[in-house]
Parts: sequence; structure tokens; C-alpha cells
Amino acid sequence: MKRLAYFPGCAMKDQARPDEAGTLHALALLGYEIAEIPRWNCCGTVYSLAQDDLMRHVGPVRNLLRVQGMGEKRVLALCAMCYGTLARSARFVQEPERLARINAFLDTEEDFRGGIGVVHLLTLLRDEVGYEKLPSHVKQSLNGLKVATYYGCMLLRPREFAVDDPDRPEVMERVLEALGAVPVPFPERTECCGAYLTVGRKDIVEERVGRILRSARGGGADLVVTTCPLCQFNLTERRPPEAPPLPVLYLGQVLGWAFGADEPTIAALLVGQPTPGEPVSSGGAR
Amino acid sequence: MNEVTVFIMGKGYRVPAGLTIMKAMEYAGYRLTRGCGCRGGYCGACATVYRLKGDYRLYADLACQTPVQDGMYIAQLPFTPAERPPYALQDLAPEGQTLLALFPELARCVACNTCTKACPQKLEVMDAVQAALRGDIRQVAELTFDCVSCGLCTMRCPAEISHHHVWQLARRLNGAYLTPRAKHVQERVQEIAARKFAVELDAFMSMDRDVLVAAYKAREIEA
Amino acid sequence: MGTYPKEMQESIERVEATRPARLAAKPGRLTLAEQETLLKGFHPDYRPEGKRKLRVGASWGDPVPHELADLLEAYPLLDPSAVDVTKPDQDVDVLVIGGGGAGTVAAIWAHLSGVPAERILIATKLRHGDSNSIMAQGGIQAADKPHDSPAIHYLDVLGGGHFTNDPTLVRALVEDAPEIIRWHEDLGVMYDKAPDGTMSTIHGGGTSRKRMHSAKDYTGLEILRVLRDEARSRGIPVLEFSPAVELLTDNQGQVVGAVLWNLETGEYTVVRAKATVLATGGWGRLHIQGFPTTNHYGATADGLVLAYRAGAKLRDLDAVQYHPTGAAYPDQLVGLLITEKVRGMDAQPLNRRGELFVHPLEPRDVESAAFIRECASPEKGGRGLGVTTPTGMVGVWLDTPMVDMIHGKGTFQRALSSIHRMYVRFDIDPTKEPILVYPTLHYQNGGVVIDEHGWTGIAGLYAAGEVEGGVHGKNRLMGNSLLDYNVFGRRAGIAAAGWAKNAAPGSPTLSHVERYVGELKSAGVPPTRKAPLLLPEYRGERALARMVDLL
Repeated sequence: MKRLAYFPGCAMKDQARPDEAGTLHALALLGYEIAEIPRWNCCGTVYSLAQDDLMRHVGPVRNLLRVQGMGEKRVLALCAMCYGTLARSARFVQEPERLARINAFLDTEEDFRGGIGVVHLLTLLRDEVGYEKLPSHVKQSLNGLKVATYYGCMLLRPREFAVDDPDRPEVMERVLEALGAVPVPFPERTECCGAYLTVGRKDIVEERVGRILRSARGGGADLVVTTCPLCQFNLTERRPPEAPPLPVLYLGQVLGWAFGADEPTIAALLVGQPTPGEPVSSGGAR
Repeated sequence: MNEVTVFIMGKGYRVPAGLTIMKAMEYAGYRLTRGCGCRGGYCGACATVYRLKGDYRLYADLACQTPVQDGMYIAQLPFTPAERPPYALQDLAPEGQTLLALFPELARCVACNTCTKACPQKLEVMDAVQAALRGDIRQVAELTFDCVSCGLCTMRCPAEISHHHVWQLARRLNGAYLTPRAKHVQERVQEIAARKFAVELDAFMSMDRDVLVAAYKAREIEA
Repeated sequence: MGTYPKEMQESIERVEATRPARLAAKPGRLTLAEQETLLKGFHPDYRPEGKRKLRVGASWGDPVPHELADLLEAYPLLDPSAVDVTKPDQDVDVLVIGGGGAGTVAAIWAHLSGVPAERILIATKLRHGDSNSIMAQGGIQAADKPHDSPAIHYLDVLGGGHFTNDPTLVRALVEDAPEIIRWHEDLGVMYDKAPDGTMSTIHGGGTSRKRMHSAKDYTGLEILRVLRDEARSRGIPVLEFSPAVELLTDNQGQVVGAVLWNLETGEYTVVRAKATVLATGGWGRLHIQGFPTTNHYGATADGLVLAYRAGAKLRDLDAVQYHPTGAAYPDQLVGLLITEKVRGMDAQPLNRRGELFVHPLEPRDVESAAFIRECASPEKGGRGLGVTTPTGMVGVWLDTPMVDMIHGKGTFQRALSSIHRMYVRFDIDPTKEPILVYPTLHYQNGGVVIDEHGWTGIAGLYAAGEVEGGVHGKNRLMGNSLLDYNVFGRRAGIAAAGWAKNAAPGSPTLSHVERYVGELKSAGVPPTRKAPLLLPEYRGERALARMVDLL
């Protein structure tokens, strides 16, 4: 078993629970001992990580400090937003002067020493597990299910933290192929869903979500896959009435199902039945 | 007598060593109205901040529980303005979003941990804010059970959260909805309504003292 | 940790030496006759020099402690001729005086009984919630387990009170108890429970069934903050730092409100009310017979003074409750409450030699008397086996490490977190070392006479909580005070709301005060004494000696 520190983020304990459940199921089979970091706090995403604004990095750095406290060198995130936030702060404090300043502010018993790596589920599957290893673990094939791989922004922007080539990403497609699904052409896959505008400008979000869902349906998709709880929320809760009502699942749910975990939406899709209601409970945006 | 110098709102007084901040203020001649309640660490009325000579930190504690130190600069919080949105418990559901909907400022937490450092009860205050943020009501209730609502975290919070009101709601939601009811209590209430014990109580009430004393002496004591 | 001084440390070694044998044995209880001998010999109430008979008022001739007599036989703080009470500043249906447990419950139930929130007013001396209610640690009694019954509870209450209680009030107390617990569950009080919802209950001193419900050792805090939050949800107005300094009466002798005094600005406010609920709490801060107290800062018997002037009868005020276990070391903690729950969880009281000298859970007065006998010198008839601290306090050990030894490691810190926190601040770990205790002034057993609806017998005036008497007779059992304020707060709130519906209050006056002043003069009471006390005097003598009033 390979030990891996894990930062869940708020959504994984609330509306994105199925993502976590599926991922944990799959990673256990892939030989990972997942250790949730103790006393983690919000990744810090509720504030924009404006350049050099120290205060905004306190939250994410505190999580990295907890990873250090566990004696680990890197931490896994599932949520695209958490991944981006943690990765950016990890980079921010690489500069010794900033590290010293943030330590002075944190004023904790143990200083943060830096050097904690942040990995996303997708990069873990690509770089460490390897696509080629995935099929041997598949217990129930996705059997040609047509999936639209929705990256949104946070996995690919800003460029320094992108999990893949921001212009031509393929990591999600390759993972899903290895599980037996068929990625469909999906031109809008890296377009922004509207993100936090969902609070004040629903109209903008609805317009974008409609465009994204039509693009997915245009390619023939049965299903949209994402790694971001905010995207998931917007694609389901802000869908304009005329847009196609595609189910939107987390990568972890799809991965978990392929590895033998229960997932009613996929089961229904594979036998051509209507999907059971809302795919996941959606409480609201944070 | 062994004395120390303390500065009460900037003015120096010699007071006996070993007194609590509260007793030192009284010794110096203050008649407390604000800043003094139960005098035993339960009511949270005596929230106090202080600095020590040569130390940049602003400490926070309860005046009734903290001994004075030489060179201490002391100020009490007379009152903590805090926003409590109107709600009725019976209209709320114990769901993840309930706390955040009523207290949206929770989302302004930047995890600076100042609240935790300010807590005289040594609670993990920031962890409770974070639990509230992700809707874990039970966790909030447990982490904040020992809160005395002194307001020190609230006064120091850069996100301007009114902590003790959030905790209060979380604990009530937890107690009312996330904890099973005691069946035996409901049954006993029904039995009393059906006057099940009335005859026995009537008898006790009309008994002569001697008979009553004998009954008391003879009562069985649960091991 | 070993922070105790050397002499105390030596005694602790004896405590440790006797512990294995004590853990194996079951302590015996005293007979009623033995209890009586102890009480007569050593309980402070049995010292005749501590009391005198009242020379004025409705309870003329009744003995009460000097400290209270001095306040009852005292002139008004507020000169009746200096204020105009004929034009009320505020008119309400129900005025609740006191913002502790009883007052908050009374206000909520007045509201539930149909009085609009804006027609209710809670006036309180300090903050809403500052009270003895919030400090209660151990628990609340209610006979709601299958092998228990209100009748058994009734017998325990009466026996604990030495059969001096008012049976009608006791019956109300025990029959309402389960309903109160159920109401608290509705409101969201986090009681200690098993995973299936069954209440965790333990013994208290003098109980024959395990019926003490608790919320860790913050039971009083947990219940009161929930009630306060509920009152806030209902929008009931609260006036803080505004003690009542006199009741108002009309020409029929009905109580029609009160004069409040703003502690901060010195202004008075006249509140006319159709019904008034007195919920002012107890008297601990009178420091009867010089004892330290567990009580909150405002426990100065104001309600007794106000009600007595208006003609209310008092009862059982010759009986003072000393809680057996007040902290006796370190100095900063002296007098603070160590909940009976600690003994309920099997910590034993021990003398200097580490010997168990009394069953840990005798009724409070008996237990206190036993502690005093153990500490008193042989010349005073005592055993002289107490432990003396460096500052000259004497106390007995409470063997707190037994809690974890019997109930498992971590129990103390979980179930008694406030006590744990209190001692750890002073570098004493109660899970490893015993703590030193001595009786401390805890509760006003008696008070204003009421009926089962909280009515004082004076039209328009109700009383609830520690200020009233009769429920506990001459000795209250643990866990019955939280119950008392809930039961009688509720009853008084409902009764006050009912009265207010048809009341016809006349013009407010202070004529009863003027009449009382006349009585004081004819009784030859010196004009120097003023009451109510409002706040105890704790200012340093050096500062007081040089204080002049200029502005």
C-alpha cells in the first residue's frame, strides 16, 4: 500500500460525496492508503488568489502545514478548485521571503517548510498509476457509454498549474477510455461554466450552461463527467429549460463504478433506462 | 505582601500577586457592572484582552479565571456587538446549507486561526467555523459545546463572524434533530397525563409524617 | 505534576495508599439518627448566633440569617418622594424581573400563553443569562426511567428537605419534570444520551434512583443558553443592567409593575404591568456566616427585599444550603463549585489520612456537616483531620482520580470538562491528583411563599426559581433547582399571562414602601441600612477609604 495524504475540501463532504466515495473505492484497489489530513480547512478558494496577497494564502498554506505534520510530502485533491488553490499556494511560498512572511503571520508552533506537492486525481492516474494499468481493475466495463469530458477552467488555468495541455487536454479522455467509455467530440469542454456568477448573475451562467450542454449533446454524449463541484452544480441546477438534461457525474463516481462500486445513474444509463432523478444531491453553491 | 503592577486601561496599580484580573480590578477600586457575571468561568461576561511587557501578542482570557502578572496591560470588553439573524428552530432543517444560509459571512473565513488563539476555553474555534462552512452541524455542536459566548473570537475575527450565534444554532439543530429522542421520556409524559401516579401521590400527600418518614427510610436505593 | 506544597503532598501519598482498598469496598450510608446528630453538631444552620427573628413585616418573628435580616430591616435605596411613579414610562402585560432561568422560562411561557412578545418585558440586573442557573454543573432531576416514578421522586424530595417542604409544590415539581425534559429536547438541549436516545442518568446526593440528567458538566449553561436563544427567536424584549429597585402597588394593594434603575446612567424607569413575575434568584453574595459562595455576582436577595415590602410572606429562610464541595485550593478558586456529579461518578471525600469518613452522596446538608466535623478542631468537638493549605484554608480531599479508574481513562475530561479546565489552568491535574474541597454557600433553600401556580398571594405578583420557597423545604437536593426554575417558571409565566387577561391595575404608587418605612421606624431600625443591595461590595479597603463622590 502506498500512503497518500488526501485533502477532501468542503464539497466532498457535502454535495460531492459520491465523487469521494467512488474515488476512495478505486484508489484502494489501485494500492493507495488514503490518509485524510487532520483538521483541514477550506482550501481558500472563496477568495481570489490575487497576486501576492498574503492573507489569501493563509488557508491553503495551513492545509499544506497539516500535510507536513503528517510527515507526508504531497497531498491529493479531487475537486478541481481545491487542487488549483492548493497548488497555487504551494507555488507561492516557494519563494523564501514569502514563506518567512507567511510563517510569521501563521505564528504556529511548527513553521511550514514548503516542499509539499499537490496532485490531482487525474495526474495521479496518468503519471503514477498509468492508463494501461486501469483496465485490469475494471470490474464492470462502461461498455461504450458516450461521455462528454468537461474540464471547465480550474483544471487547466492558470497554465502553470494545468493538469494537462490547456489547449488540447486528453487526460480525462484517456482515463475514461481505459474504463471502457467512449469520449465524444465536445468543443465546449474547456469553457467556463460561469462559476461564482451563479450567486448574483444566474442569467449569464444559464446562457453558458445551455451552450455547454448543447455542445455535449451535439457530440452524442449520454453523460457529462467533471471533477469540479461548482461546475456540477451549475450544469445541473442552472440548466436552462431548453437545454438537454444530461446527467452530470463526477469522475470519481465513474471510476468507482468501473471498479465495482455502486452507482445507480450509470447502471441506468447502461441499460437504457431513464436516469434516477438528480444524479447527486445538490445543496447549493458555496 | 508580594505585589505586582498592572495597568488597568493604561493606568498603573499595585495589587497583591496571585489575584485574578477581576479581583485585582476590584482591589484597585473598580466597582464592576459590565465585565463581571458568574465569577466562575461559565457566563462569559468578563472577556478581557491584555498584553505583557516585551511581547507583541494580544492575549485574550476571562478576567475571573486569569491570575495577574507583573506589567500586564488590561482592558475588558464591555459588550460584543454580534448579529443574530431572526429564525425559529421549528422552521429550519438540520441540513448542510442551513448555517451558511443564515450566516453567509462564514464563507469569509480565511483560516487565519486568530479565533482559536483568542479562545479562553481553548476550543478549536477555526475548526468549528470550517465545519460550519461544510455543513457538518454535529461537528460544530461538539467542537463548541464548552463555549461560554464571551465574544473574544468574534471581536478578533477578520471575517466578522458572530461565532457564538452560529454555535448556538448548530447545537440546537443537533440536539433537536440529529439526536434520537428519549423514548422513555415520551412514555412517562403520557403516563403522567393518564394520571398513572396520581393515586400513589395522593396517598403520600395525605400521609402522616411518621408514616411518610417510614416510607422514606424503607425506600429501595438503586445500586 | 506535583504542584501541591510538600505538606499537602505527604497527605496525597496516604490517599494513594488507601485507594486500592477503597476501590474494592462499598461505602456505607448514615442512618437518619446519625444524620441528625451530625446536622445538630456541625451544620452552620444550627448555630443560633447566626440568626435573628424579624422585627417587621409579614413574616414577623421568623428567624433568618443576620445578613438577610439586615436587608429586610432596611430603608429603601430609592427615596419614594424623589421619583414620580404615577406616569409610567412603559406599559406591559407581563413584567419579568430577572433574566436567569426562571425569568426566561416565565417569559417564554407567557408568550406561549398568548401574550404578544412586545407586551412582555424581561428586566435584569446584569446580562440576560447572568445567573446561578447558567453555573449549574451537575444536572436536572426527572423521574422518567422505567424503574423510577414521580412518586419515588416525591419521596426523595421530601426526605431531602427533612419533610418541611410544601407537598403541593413538590407534587407539581415531580409531575411536571418529564414534560420539562421533553420540552428541552424539542428546543434542542444536548442532553447526555446513549446512541439510541436513552438519557444517561446518574445518582445525586439523596436520590434513590439514577435520575440526574446532564449535559457534560455544563448542564446549566447548555439549558439556559438554549432557553435564551428561544426567547430571542420569539422577540421578547430584554432590558439589561436594569435591576428593579422597588415594586409598584395600586390602591387595592395589587402589584402593578416596578421601578427599574439603569445601573450605568442612574436613570429610573417606571414600568406598569398587569402581572409581575419575580425571578431574581438567591442570596449567595450575602456571604452568610462569612462563607465563600458558588453564586454569581448578582445573587444579593433583591427579590426577597422587594416582595417583603409589598407584603409577601417568606419561609424557610433559616435554612442555608452549603454545597459540600467548594474548591479550597488554590486560593484563586476558593468557593467555586465542584459539582456533585464528581461524587456521583465515584470520587470519595477523604481526610488527611486518606480515610473515607462519610458516604459520598448523603444529602447536601449532611455531607457538608460531615466535612465541617472532619475539619473542625477537637476543642470545637471536631476531628481535626482536615488538610491545611499554605494560606490557612482547611479542607478535605476529593479523590478525583477514582473517576477514571472506575469509569475508564478519559471519562473525567469528557464528562467533567469544566472542572478539568478550571484546575488545569492552575497546573493541577484532577485525573492524577485529588482536589481539596470545603463547604461553600450555594443555595437559598427558602424564599417567597407561593402556591402551585407561582402566585405569591398578592394580586398581580408571581415568583419562580430560587427566590421562592417551599419546594425544597429546608434542604434542596442536587438537580432539583434547574427543575424548579423550569417547572415554576413555566407555571408562573402561564398564571401571569392568565391574570393579565382580566387584570385592572390602578395607578402605580410606592405607598407600600412608605408604609414599610413607617414600620421600620416604629421598630427602631437604624436609618443607615439601605436595601436592596444590588451588588456586593468587593472593592479594596485601601481604595474605599480614600473614595469621595464628587461628580
